[in-house]
Amino acid sequence: MAIAFPVRLGAAENTLIEQLKSVGADATAERITVAGLPTRRVEAYHYTDLKLLLKAIPPLAQAANEASAPALRIAGAYQLMIANGMIQSHATAPAGVIVGKAAGTALSTRDDVLVHLNGAFARQSLTLTLENSVDTVIQIDRRIEGLAAHAADSVKIFVADGASATIIETFSGSDAAHVGNHATYVALGKDARLTHITVDLSARAVSHFATNEYHVGEGANLRTLVVHAGAGLARTHVFPRYEGTGAHGDITGLNLVSDGQHADITMDALHAVPHTTSQPLFKSIARGRGKSIVQGKLVVARDAQKTDAKFMHQGLMLSDEAEILSKPELEIYADDVVCGHGSTCGKLDEDSMFYLMSRGIPKEEAETMMVRGFLDELVDPIEDEALAEALHGVIDGWLLGK
Amino acid sequence: MTTPILEIRNLHARIEDREILKGVNLIIPAGEVHAIMGRNGSGKSTLSYVLAGKDDYEVTEGEILLNGESILEMEPNERAAAGVFLAFQYPIEIPGVATMTFLKAAMNAQRKARGEAELLTPEFMRLVKEAGTQLQVDTAMLKRPLNVGFSGGEKKRAEIMQMALLKPALCVLDETDSGLDIDALQVVSKGVNALRSDSRSMLVITHYQRLLNHIVPDVVHVFSDGRIVESGDKDLALQLEAKGYADFDGAAA
Repeated sequence: MAIAFPVRLGAAENTLIEQLKSVGADATAERITVAGLPTRRVEAYHYTDLKLLLKAIPPLAQAANEASAPALRIAGAYQLMIANGMIQSHATAPAGVIVGKAAGTALSTRDDVLVHLNGAFARQSLTLTLENSVDTVIQIDRRIEGLAAHAADSVKIFVADGASATIIETFSGSDAAHVGNHATYVALGKDARLTHITVDLSARAVSHFATNEYHVGEGANLRTLVVHAGAGLARTHVFPRYEGTGAHGDITGLNLVSDGQHADITMDALHAVPHTTSQPLFKSIARGRGKSIVQGKLVVARDAQKTDAKFMHQGLMLSDEAEILSKPELEIYADDVVCGHGSTCGKLDEDSMFYLMSRGIPKEEAETMMVRGFLDELVDPIEDEALAEALHGVIDGWLLGK
Repeated sequence: MTTPILEIRNLHARIEDREILKGVNLIIPAGEVHAIMGRNGSGKSTLSYVLAGKDDYEVTEGEILLNGESILEMEPNERAAAGVFLAFQYPIEIPGVATMTFLKAAMNAQRKARGEAELLTPEFMRLVKEAGTQLQVDTAMLKRPLNVGFSGGEKKRAEIMQMALLKPALCVLDETDSGLDIDALQVVSKGVNALRSDSRSMLVITHYQRLLNHIVPDVVHVFSDGRIVESGDKDLALQLEAKGYADFDGAAA
């Protein structure tokens, strides 16, 4: 017989329970009452102990009265905005793009506290249907404005058979101590191609949580990039499922952390059918007492023969106090697959620095060049030039913002 | 007498607790090419790194003057802007940094340090093409990441091409002949010889006389146990080749 020990609830948990009850999410309230927020003893949260890190939850977000300047401008992009969980009015969509709304979260049910909370609090989902090849970059600008607020929002994207698109989501807002819980659900039809980028540019006081769920169909090709470059506490879930023969994912991510920041990218990928491939590649750059975490789990279903997947995480330490943590996991039920994982961590190479400086390049510029070189693999595959330039801007801004 | 391009006075340097340079004295007047020969481990490469400012080495005594000005307090990039160029024995591979990007950054950084305007792209492309043609460095190679996957010969040609573009007052060539076959050696030597001028000096470090048939020095110095033990004209290199270094070790003792 299991003996249940009562969990001591903290201020954040008590607020969450009240808020959950106020929206009628009694089941989720009950779960938190019984189990509390996950601690390091919960494997998936081992390095991001929410009970410890999440000290307070601000009041539930009200509609925003004002909006700050966009955190990232991409020349020529079609912009959509969600502020404090509410979808804002928007310009006419480019050809092949249908914009709409749906009630509630777009995420599938999953045994995860952040997914449950999004399900409880997200009132509506912005829906995007991409019917054919869309050349215009689509930017979804997700904000939390005004006084400190607990906001949840959701986006649902369908990429039709044979369609292709590039979507960037940016997260920003006022510099209050918001807690954001963002969801994106993406389904790719047969032979669809999508580049999906999410960039957190929130203020340092913000706790940023995001869950990106992907369903990759037959012959479809998905490229993703998560960038954490803002919030003091950030965790993005990346949950790709390869569901059709020939589905492929280039799942990439980048944690840029400075002193006092904690950024976590947690991937849990499922290769559900035979002949699917993925190349998860994550990079971390940490300075000061910054902490970067990348967890990457590859699950291969019993029938998913000929799966080819390799997880890679490369860390670059710019200080002795920084921490970069890497947790690859393989869970393979098929017997004819090629799966692997690798992690590396190091400092900027001194001989390379000397070489660049010996040619007249000052130290800081040499460092920037080398860091750009280190990150080239992530930004280089992004075909849209304005988008790649904007991402270089985010990276350079972080490098210079010591 | 005019100021020499390079003057080294009683230079002592160590790495951790080990003293490697033990009182180097050397004067290279403008326009001259001097060669330093010595066996492995005699401190030749250390001398080149100390000139370029690698911070693994600590200078404990002595002075290095470039055009009469001390460079010991300068960072490597400041020395480069002042006119020092080291052609590396093993050029470093830097993934993710395109050779072209690197060349432009280096040229513009030096121009900026000297208070000159940045190069415009068409002018930069013209200079690169000009230097590349002579050293058989093509556009495809320039688009590749710096030195990554370059053959031994390509790396050395790229080094000399950088030297041609940066127009230094003092060229230090550290074992530029290592890893080169005869054909590559000729291309590289031709490139170096084309850069000889009345206003530029060169220090050619090698342990084989072979290179000195192609780049003919004005003066040859023999390096042993951290200092110069003998100096002479180019025939000294031939003597060394015939007799080996053993006789000169005696002079050092």
